[in-house]
Amino acid sequence: MNRRKFVADTLKTGLLLAAPNLITNSLQAAPKGKQLTILHTNDVHSRLEAFPNDGSRNAGMGGVAARAAAISGIRTQADNILVVDAGDIFQGTPYFNLYKGEPEIKAMSLMGYDAATMGNHDFDAGLENFATQLQHANFPIVVCNYNFTNTPMEGKAKPYTIVQKGNVKIGIVGVGIELKGLVPENLYGNTVYMEPISNANRSAAYLKSQGCDIVVCLSHLGDKYNDDKVSDEILAKESYDIDVIIGGHTHRFFEQPRKYKNKKGNEVLVNQMGWAGIQLGRLDYNLFNEKARNNTQASTIILNKKI
Amino acid sequence: MRYFTTRLVLAGFIGLLGCKTQAPQPTTVAYEGVKITTEAPKDSNVLKMLKPFSDSINKTMNKVIGFAVNNLAKKQPESNLGNLMTDCMLVQASATFGIQADAAFVNYGGIRSYIPKGEVTVGKVYELMPFDNLIVVQKLSGKVLLQFLQHITQRGTWPCSGIKYTVVNKQPTNIFIGGKPLDEAKDYYIVNTDYITSGGDDCDMLRPFPVMNKGYLFRDALISYFQLLTQQGKPIDAPIENRITINN
Repeated sequence: MNRRKFVADTLKTGLLLAAPNLITNSLQAAPKGKQLTILHTNDVHSRLEAFPNDGSRNAGMGGVAARAAAISGIRTQADNILVVDAGDIFQGTPYFNLYKGEPEIKAMSLMGYDAATMGNHDFDAGLENFATQLQHANFPIVVCNYNFTNTPMEGKAKPYTIVQKGNVKIGIVGVGIELKGLVPENLYGNTVYMEPISNANRSAAYLKSQGCDIVVCLSHLGDKYNDDKVSDEILAKESYDIDVIIGGHTHRFFEQPRKYKNKKGNEVLVNQMGWAGIQLGRLDYNLFNEKARNNTQASTIILNKKI
Repeated sequence: MRYFTTRLVLAGFIGLLGCKTQAPQPTTVAYEGVKITTEAPKDSNVLKMLKPFSDSINKTMNKVIGFAVNNLAKKQPESNLGNLMTDCMLVQASATFGIQADAAFVNYGGIRSYIPKGEVTVGKVYELMPFDNLIVVQKLSGKVLLQFLQHITQRGTWPCSGIKYTVVNKQPTNIFIGGKPLDEAKDYYIVNTDYITSGGDDCDMLRPFPVMNKGYLFRDALISYFQLLTQQGKPIDAPIENRITINN
């Protein structure tokens, strides 16, 4: 018996006696965790075509045809790709004034978006219009803190969804911003805005209980404010089961994802990609979640700029 | 050496047994902002889906409705573009609502673009006013109008038409409306967008008063007004005439 085999056998026997559930982790866990690439946009604002080449700051940037090609390119490099949007799909170019969101939703369907949440401007042509445009969507709208009972959106959005990508089970929950004072009342109608933190936490806890490896929160709250208005920063710190918040509304181009400690002491990421589809956010996860680690110690995240 | 290694491994093994849980393995995340540039390849399926929409958009948006002899851009306290847009509100509201409007305002942040010298297209108007804001009218007392003026002057002055005043220490003074001094007891027909009359930009003082609303889009009013100027053989322009003077 060579030494290596001896050690391995001893380990197995010892572990089997001591803690049988550890064996799978210590001996079968690959050096790699589960792989997931999250691609994300926010506040695209009907920017279907690239900005015109008129010498302005964003000239030539963006456009759905180029974004679609970028996403297809990444699909050939990596497995387990999740594509999401954090709201304000609508409003900002004549496309929206004339077609009320039809080409925006069709483009997202062609690009293989897995889910999106609603931003305040998605109410701009009325809730009935948004509900109508969803006939062109092959992805769900997730938002857990708008009650759409007795509105045209009743039954057309859900608080969360679960997506399986290869061996990764992903829970996606959405949160929307307070509508009063931001969206004209005649546009949101009977929609009831509910407190986002407790609702997001409830959905996230459910998603974790269903065995999700990662819980992604699509948020249109805004990254942070000078006052105590609820934001992604506050949500991250007050959360328990959310792993990453894909944000929007404040049109910030994050140089790198922000890291916060949640109520359990685990690290949560927040990321946001400006607006207009000028950039596509990409997060490549090598995931060791609580379930994979099978312990209750706080989890940490190491961030690296992709090169 | 071999003996030593074995001992080390065993020591580690014993240590592992003593510890109830495995050492936490951190998740790693590699991040990137993938820039979508002009040079990026285009997806043919998406282009195909978009084509009928963009063809029709281009046809509508490229329609020329007038000519600008100057570059028109917004500026505080007064600009040719701000004057043009509020003149349009005053003229088009008077015609549409069958009243003689006294003054018109547009919130400075509501002007979203500029008009370069040359042919003016429908598309330019859409860029100027992408939101579906409506032109509405309220009958306001001089007293409320003064409150409104004080509020917007605090915020840094807004484009206006039909009214002329001087700003001293961020306060409106020497206010003339229709060429006559503001009378706090008199009622005036004031044109705004529905965004402002419903309390946008913290204009809560306007909320209590009835709003005349005909669903008239500000953008449609601009297109009609530009076409009107063109029919009259005039360029799309407005003079700078010291509607607002800053005197600190």
